[in-house]
Amino acid sequence: MGNPIHSKITIRDFSIAIGLVLIWVFFALASDKFLSPRNLSMLSIELAITATLALGMLLVLLPGMIDLSVGSGVGLIGGIASVLIFEHHLPAPLALAIGFAFAILVWSLMGKLIIGQRIPAFIITLGGLLVFKGAFWLVIHNSTIPVSAGNTSNLYSLLTTYYFPAWSGYLLFAGIGALFVLAQIRARRQRRDHGFAVDAFEVAFLKTFVGLQGLLLMVIVMNSFRGIPLSVVILGVVAFGVYVVTQHTPFGRYLYAIGDNEEAALLSGIPIQKVVIGAYALLGAIVAMTGFMQTAYAGASTTTVGDLMELDAIAACVIGGASLRGGRGTVMGVLFGALIMTSLLNGMTLLAVSPELKYMARGTVLILAVWMDMALARK
Amino acid sequence: MEKVLEVQALTKRFSGVTALDRVSFDLVPGEIHALCGENGAGKSTLIKVLSGVHASGAYEGRVLISGRHAAFHSIADAEAAGIAVIYQELALIGAMTVAENVFLGAEPRRGALVDWHQMYADTRALLREYDLALDPTARVADLGIGQKQLVEIVKALAKNSRILLLDEPTAALTESEVERLLQIVRSLRERGIACLYISHKLDEVFQIADRITVLRDGRAICTLAAAETDKDEVICHMVGREIVDFYPRKQAEPGAEVLAVENLSVVEGGAEVLRDISFTVRAGEVLGLGGLMGAGRSELLLHILGFYGKRLNGSVRVNGRELKDHSPADAIAEGLVLVSEDRKRYGLFLDKSIGFNLSLSSLRQFTARWLIDQNREIRRNQALFDSLGIRAKGQETIVGSLSGGNQQKVVLGKALMTAPRAILLDEPTRGIDVGAKVEVYELVNRLTTQGKAVVLVSSELSELMGMSDRIVILSNGRIAGQFDRGQATQERMLAAAMANN
Repeated sequence: MGNPIHSKITIRDFSIAIGLVLIWVFFALASDKFLSPRNLSMLSIELAITATLALGMLLVLLPGMIDLSVGSGVGLIGGIASVLIFEHHLPAPLALAIGFAFAILVWSLMGKLIIGQRIPAFIITLGGLLVFKGAFWLVIHNSTIPVSAGNTSNLYSLLTTYYFPAWSGYLLFAGIGALFVLAQIRARRQRRDHGFAVDAFEVAFLKTFVGLQGLLLMVIVMNSFRGIPLSVVILGVVAFGVYVVTQHTPFGRYLYAIGDNEEAALLSGIPIQKVVIGAYALLGAIVAMTGFMQTAYAGASTTTVGDLMELDAIAACVIGGASLRGGRGTVMGVLFGALIMTSLLNGMTLLAVSPELKYMARGTVLILAVWMDMALARK
Repeated sequence: MEKVLEVQALTKRFSGVTALDRVSFDLVPGEIHALCGENGAGKSTLIKVLSGVHASGAYEGRVLISGRHAAFHSIADAEAAGIAVIYQELALIGAMTVAENVFLGAEPRRGALVDWHQMYADTRALLREYDLALDPTARVADLGIGQKQLVEIVKALAKNSRILLLDEPTAALTESEVERLLQIVRSLRERGIACLYISHKLDEVFQIADRITVLRDGRAICTLAAAETDKDEVICHMVGREIVDFYPRKQAEPGAEVLAVENLSVVEGGAEVLRDISFTVRAGEVLGLGGLMGAGRSELLLHILGFYGKRLNGSVRVNGRELKDHSPADAIAEGLVLVSEDRKRYGLFLDKSIGFNLSLSSLRQFTARWLIDQNREIRRNQALFDSLGIRAKGQETIVGSLSGGNQQKVVLGKALMTAPRAILLDEPTRGIDVGAKVEVYELVNRLTTQGKAVVLVSSELSELMGMSDRIVILSNGRIAGQFDRGQATQERMLAAAMANN
């Protein structure tokens, strides 16, 4: 069941972790810069952007839908905010709010078309991909629109340039760590009270301990550069939100149910239309968030912002164990999948791999991941 | 006589659970050997071993074909040894013709190309040999389910199979189709083919079987000559106890009217499927709904729930409130719930756990401020899990791994948790074993004593008569007869069901 207290390590989880370690070892050996605090800090911002979008994608993959338009959407929404700020001199918070509202509206409409008119999501969002791309270029009139004027900074530009001071990083770690441990203890007790199987205490302790160590290591590394980037905290908030929505709300259960058996879901009294439209609306908000971060990271809206990001998002989900047929996928898996995609891209950029080869490598990793998924599922 | 198939002390374990425990039995040529047992008794596992799904080495014991040790490593090995399985869920490709399906994977060739002429000629010859009325060029999707079953059998015959394993072949057939199938199985017997016949329907078993082996809890309890035993003895062996009252209907005092359908006419795809239907069901009452396949019984229930068809005329009221242009969610909110006959398609989330399934329609009961109170949910699931007697390790067990009877209990549990006033049961005992059937009947009694209204659709006339307080028979989408308990006889109901044909 979409039971949150449920956590079991499978061969598949291991294979993702091993793949990740191999990728990191390879790049660490190939480039002495890969493990430098500066690069890891950049990698974490890139991860924040890719993973945030992938978490949104998860919300529509779960009920068996898809969205190919998110890459163009990232460019368009980021572009709208840039234009509002740079050409119409709106305050940044207002421009971002308009971007959010617009994205939520547009994605709700796409959701309504898909589920109301029974048009395949693939087609509607493929159309969206083209329409948004064209609209994006119209909005920025094929030029480069910076996110803030001159050398000034605003809320928009700070999304990827603000770093939390060192002390707040440790405070954040202490707070999250304490909550995490408490949640683990509570979940364990609950499971035992209900007579469910729990991990041996040593295993549970080790998992928690390793998790906390990783988190602490990240804080130390980030602090030795500039501190924890704001975008990483944004990812944390989005990930926690998507986790709660998918695992602890009726809406989340319905997403899994629709993906598993849509007819049975309808007969079980699930308001399928509302649920799917809701999933697209949430995705719209996440596309807007990603659009702001990605544009801020690039420094300006240019015609290529958001290119192919839909494929990275889908790849991250699939590598992380989400099923394209729906009904299967978790937040943790998607985060790992996104980390794999981001590490690959970051490492290849460090090694100055040509764009041609980069494309081919990304595609190969995706195919390998799915093949491995199928091979392991058959066992 | 030489044994064409012999199973010796077969034991199969799944991670600690013993599915088959030293099972032995044999088949002789020209015999129909029935295998009876409740769900979970080990019938499916046995079939999987015999058909090579569970490879040799994954089980203990021996399988002998014509006296020689057979070690199947794949389905292809079993087929090569002359064993063919006719599954209850048909493995045919709808878009292809009968002949294409029969020779699927073994197409006659001329060079690199398929020899279509040969294929159709061979199929025609086979059909003539076994006297089957099928058109080799018909598209399988256009055939009825009974004819599809025949295609499966012809497919097995084309592979020169000497041993047929029939797994619930009549589960989805109408009475006349069953009759024809049994006829064909008998004619196969005369040609020396050995059939292992698995069915929950004991009447059928006694019509056709020469010997009967009863499985219970993975063990072969006994093998009986069909002529020397009777239904009661077999049931007794199957459940391990005597079932005193097969239809334990206890009538409850009928209360207020709960469900009222008036002059209902429904169209779907331009055709009128239901016409001028009126009935009422009161609290504590079971209304039986009978009729032949295609008479509109399931369509009526699905329309009432808000899932099917467009209403031309008439009304549906639950507790006096009219339901119109509603969704299943609206119907459930008014206290109406449906348990579909096709539980895998319309009822279950097979990849998910029992708990996920049970609470899915009722999550609101545990939700405060958007969040599900998982402790309450799990407790409620556990209470239902226990009271329905679902046989599984726990509520985290994946539903797809359960036997048919236990899956049916999960679907029933999901419906019951919504605290309905009226329950529509569409063939609730189809494909489940005797013990589980009686449990379903007892559940119906519990529901009516609690003052719930029940509509029971069934193709088994004895079940309709045994469990209903009143019976409505549909024919061609209209009401063709109404009977009170006691007035109904099999003959009168059948006559009504065939009335407009």
